[in-house]
Amino acid sequence: MEDQSPERLAAALKRVLETIELADVLTAPFNESIEHLLLASCRGINADGASVLLPYGDEGDLEFKWACGAVSDSLVGARIPAGKGIAGFVFSTGQPMAVSDTEQEASFYSKIDRTTGFSTHTILATPLQFGGEITGVLEYVNREGTPPFEPFSPEEMDLAALYAEAVSSLVHAHNSAEFTGRFGSRVIENALQDSDADSGELLNAIGDSGNQSDAIRLAELVRSVSSLGERERKLCMEILESFKKLTGSGERKA
Amino acid sequence: MPPVNRSLLNRLDESWKECTGKGVSVAIIDSGIDTTHPDLEGKVRSSYEASKEGPRVVFNETDSGDSAGHGTACAGIVAGIAPDAEIHSIKVLGSAGIGDGDSFLAGLEFAVKLECKIINLSLGTTKPHYSAPLRDLLDRAYLAGSIVVSAANNLPQPSFPSVFSSSLISVSKHAETDPYKFGFRFGEVIEMTAPGVNVKTAWPGGSHKTITGNSFACPHISAVLSQLLERYPDLTPFEAKSALFAISNSSRSG
Repeated sequence: MEDQSPERLAAALKRVLETIELADVLTAPFNESIEHLLLASCRGINADGASVLLPYGDEGDLEFKWACGAVSDSLVGARIPAGKGIAGFVFSTGQPMAVSDTEQEASFYSKIDRTTGFSTHTILATPLQFGGEITGVLEYVNREGTPPFEPFSPEEMDLAALYAEAVSSLVHAHNSAEFTGRFGSRVIENALQDSDADSGELLNAIGDSGNQSDAIRLAELVRSVSSLGERERKLCMEILESFKKLTGSGERKA
Repeated sequence: MPPVNRSLLNRLDESWKECTGKGVSVAIIDSGIDTTHPDLEGKVRSSYEASKEGPRVVFNETDSGDSAGHGTACAGIVAGIAPDAEIHSIKVLGSAGIGDGDSFLAGLEFAVKLECKIINLSLGTTKPHYSAPLRDLLDRAYLAGSIVVSAANNLPQPSFPSVFSSSLISVSKHAETDPYKFGFRFGEVIEMTAPGVNVKTAWPGGSHKTITGNSFACPHISAVLSQLLERYPDLTPFEAKSALFAISNSSRSG
């Protein structure tokens, strides 16, 4: 931003804020749509639960991003190391597969099951792809009722591939909106850091009284605490982490 | 190259079904193999694993087993039909930094260097930029006399190399359970169908799983080929495909 006058900066930041607001408006419904689609597809495929795994980091690890079913809350956020387990294989190769009798497996799934208290008996995993790239994995587990469960059929595998197309489009749209929001927030943070103008005055000039202004004020506060030293930074992080755990957050609330 | 045996199709008889794949090398390019599994003990002649040295992918002997289960499942199918086939594990999935298209291509090249007669590829890539190098590599395998068997994927988008029907044998699943009841669909890009639905096979940790996917149709054909090659050791890749056509439940499309 070449012209650093507070008025021009405020006008530019207001446009960025509007973009962030729009991204937020889009992210929440995309989020809900993915959850609804998972639920609907579970009924279509006669599965007891479903989840979407997306890459985490640069090493090919996968993270459960959305889930429906009995243990969805504890499943979201769990991670699978690169290439491990059925989901890792499906993500690496783009080959869908279904496996039964997983309860005896001494590998990743037993670890996840111990964590969540769930008992995985049968899995159907199919890749998500967008623009020619494998972007994640869609998984279905178990059947409704009590085991033993019928293995997933080839027809259900084909149906899962169709659901995967819809899910991957929604995931792409969700991630694009989320990225736009994050990018906008970063632009504002950087602009506030680089500007000589007082951030409070700038925010007043922007005239935004919504969530974004609060978020920016919070970021400003964290930045000033960070500059005090390592001890203060760590304390601040601990307080924020505790608050996050206490509120069970981690996902942006609409 | 051995001379083309033009009378092969005339003298094919059922005697190959008594063969056990003795003396026939089968490379399984996959997630590794659990060589301690009771179904596979003594059947895996060598195990190599890919690792990266700068931009190069190199292969070293390994005892790291199978991180995903998929390679063990494929090996179990081959060993179940052709118990004396000499299986070579080439692990290109499951280690940190490994699992991309480069390691997959390097694995194929390594199998050709090992002079394996049959190369089982129950995986593939949808990334178009691997299409040309894969085609070149498959031509080299073909000219070297290695028969490459590749699994199709179930997705609307083609995966490589399964769409290169001229230089390899591509396979998708069907629900038959008899390993000798496989289909040949002349005129289709994915020419062969083989059992791949609810196949019970070996899984790491000494267990067995019931699995579904094109990935598991592929080793059925690899196993049958190893029986054919024990009986007719001079078969070229072209003759091998002709032999499969002759003994299949064949059909012509179009």
